[in-house]
Amino acid sequence: MAIIGTQAGPALSTPDDTPPPYEVVELGGAQGGWFRRVGWSHLVGILALAFSLFPIVFVVSAALNPVGTLSSSTLFPTQVSLVNFTDTLAGSFPRWFANTLIVGVLSAGVAMFISASAAFAFSRFRFRGRRGGLLSVLLIQLFPQFLAIVALYLIFTEITDVWPAIGLNSIWGLTLLYLGGALGVNTWLMKGFFDTIPKDLDESAKVDGATHSQIYFGIILPLVRPILAVTGLLGFIGAVNEFLIASVFLTDDRAKTAAVGLYGLIADDQTRNTQFGLFCAGAVLLAIPTVLLFMYLQRHIVGGLTAGAVKG
Amino acid sequence: MAQVVLDKVNKKYDNGFHAVQDLDIDVADGEFLVLVGPSGCGKTTALRMVAGLEDISSGTLRIGDRVVNTLSSRERDIAMVFQSYALYPHMTVFDNIAYGLKIRRMSSTEIEQRVRKAGDMLELGHLLDRKPKQLSGGQRQRVAMGRAIVREPQVFLMDEPLSNLDAKLRVQMRAEISEIQRDLKTTTLYVTHDQTEAMTMGDRVALMKAGVLQQLGSPQHLYDHPDNIFVAGFIGSPPMNMAVARLIRSDGLSLQLAETVLPIPESVVRARPGLARYVDRDVAIGIRSEDMEDASLARDDAPESRVRAKVALTEALGSEIVVHFDVAAPKPVTADTKALDKDAQTSDVPVAHRGNVFVASFGPRSRVRPRDDIEIVVDRERIHFFDPDTGHAIRD
Ligand SMILES: Nc1ncnc2c1ncn2[C@@H]1O[C@H](COP(=O)(O)OP(=O)(O)O)[C@@H](O)[C@H]1O
Ligand SMILES: [Mg+2]
Repeated sequence: MAIIGTQAGPALSTPDDTPPPYEVVELGGAQGGWFRRVGWSHLVGILALAFSLFPIVFVVSAALNPVGTLSSSTLFPTQVSLVNFTDTLAGSFPRWFANTLIVGVLSAGVAMFISASAAFAFSRFRFRGRRGGLLSVLLIQLFPQFLAIVALYLIFTEITDVWPAIGLNSIWGLTLLYLGGALGVNTWLMKGFFDTIPKDLDESAKVDGATHSQIYFGIILPLVRPILAVTGLLGFIGAVNEFLIASVFLTDDRAKTAAVGLYGLIADDQTRNTQFGLFCAGAVLLAIPTVLLFMYLQRHIVGGLTAGAVKG
Repeated sequence: MAQVVLDKVNKKYDNGFHAVQDLDIDVADGEFLVLVGPSGCGKTTALRMVAGLEDISSGTLRIGDRVVNTLSSRERDIAMVFQSYALYPHMTVFDNIAYGLKIRRMSSTEIEQRVRKAGDMLELGHLLDRKPKQLSGGQRQRVAMGRAIVREPQVFLMDEPLSNLDAKLRVQMRAEISEIQRDLKTTTLYVTHDQTEAMTMGDRVALMKAGVLQQLGSPQHLYDHPDNIFVAGFIGSPPMNMAVARLIRSDGLSLQLAETVLPIPESVVRARPGLARYVDRDVAIGIRSEDMEDASLARDDAPESRVRAKVALTEALGSEIVVHFDVAAPKPVTADTKALDKDAQTSDVPVAHRGNVFVASFGPRSRVRPRDDIEIVVDRERIHFFDPDTGHAIRD
């Protein structure tokens, strides 16, 4: 706000009936209505929300649609029933679901632990090949994994001959594959986080008499919980949602993960329409563990755990 | 309890930097030894070598009667208080203090008992359930102390444990740490850059500069008999006043300080035979502020002890009046004074920009005002003499 004009004389007050001898000019400021100041951001938010909720609402509606065909699905259901869910659970889906959970939990958990251990070493120890190791981990990560699918497929065909338990058509083999995939990114992500934990803590524990593993499990891991939660969650989501590699590796119905199995339901033109309700019911069920995991981990994903470690 | 002996200990970092050179220090059993020096002089490096957190490049380190060069920290039976306190943020105060005991698989009743005892000693009893981030700076400091105490180690190592506290708390903790150490009689190596801490806490003080030990002795000895200009300038607050003067022979020996001629008492010359070599040459002299007094307050002094000066600034502190005045003689310039200037710039002591300003502390009844022409009595027995090139004290 700027004041333009001159005030005549030293008078401190002006008589009530005369207008003040200056005019007020507003430059920017609280001008315009509610919409121009705040409202537009609500509008943007609502649009974004609608955009991202649309597919979810559609899938949930389709899952509740008792007719269960694509052509009869609408954004908001006209009839509601759980028949699709009961049908899904009666078929192969429980098996696929269990497979997915096993692969997801195992690959996320083990990858988390291996990456954390690697990150601890890269962050805390100084050894020959440290820099080279870090760089090559990153470099390998730069190659898209599906470029390697052909090679991996050939390798796993051989393995299947020797040791079928971890070969093709086995969720254990797939878990192994996923483990390798996430290692690079996770290690880098975690190393960055480990570096923010003051080294004084390690050294203090060392003077107190702790061994490396006591420091790792007792001091460092509890303090890096947020990054463990993040990588664990991302790893789990990645494994649950992964389709491409899984579809190549798992052809036996009993070995399929939910992503591959559900796709099979709507893979060809005849079934796409009729089994759409089953597919959507499976998709909704599949989302539950991810949402639960997210809700559980949410309180661990708070930074600033190290606040108060050092200084006053 | 044990003594700690550093024998020609060196540290060369991987980048070739020689951080600690031929360090010889022996800390007697139960002694409180303060390692002091400006920041970057290698104190922490030295302490970390004793702690086993840094390899020793060469030399021998003994704790008790064992050579511990190659032993790990846990085998050295030491406890360390870090500058940052390094409390484990995810553990309660109790668990923080108990950590070292749990690692050593002590029975839980014994742990409980020891932690309670340390907690009482440090007045932490009511805080044992809190997490470090719920504590004030001073309380964190106590927890860090508690962690060291419960271990009942052979040696305490402390790296600037008070530097993160405010001034008042620092004074209080200074006294507390000294008291605890006296009670426990645990050999202590204490690192600080604060000469006040060194003077008030140490049984003996080791002063370092640029990785080299300058002098080791009782605080009073360093204060009264500094081996070189660096020690003289570092120990004491305000720092010792320094000037270049000419040593001339008239009757006995005299100092020509700008226009003023100050005869040196016979006893001083006798105690420092080396002075004779500097006749008709420059010497660096040092005078502590308390060795100068307002002539109108000093009664029985020899008239030749008096020098004239013009007051630039006075600071009345109640118990004394600090008087600043210009001296026409230049400051000595040696490697030592450069190191001191560099240190002063990094601390909060203001640096005089130009000229040579002396600081004297007069009795509280002095009536001097800025711009007064005054006479000052110098305690000539207590003037320090240094070589103006090497900075070494002139003695014999
Ligand atoms: N890891 C290191 N590698 C190379 N130089 C170091 C390293 N640590 C410390 N220094 C150098 O060694 C000198 C002494 O450091 P330090 O012992 O921390 O000093 P102080 O504790 O007396 O302030 C400093 O000049 C510092 O830059
Ligand atoms: Mg230091």
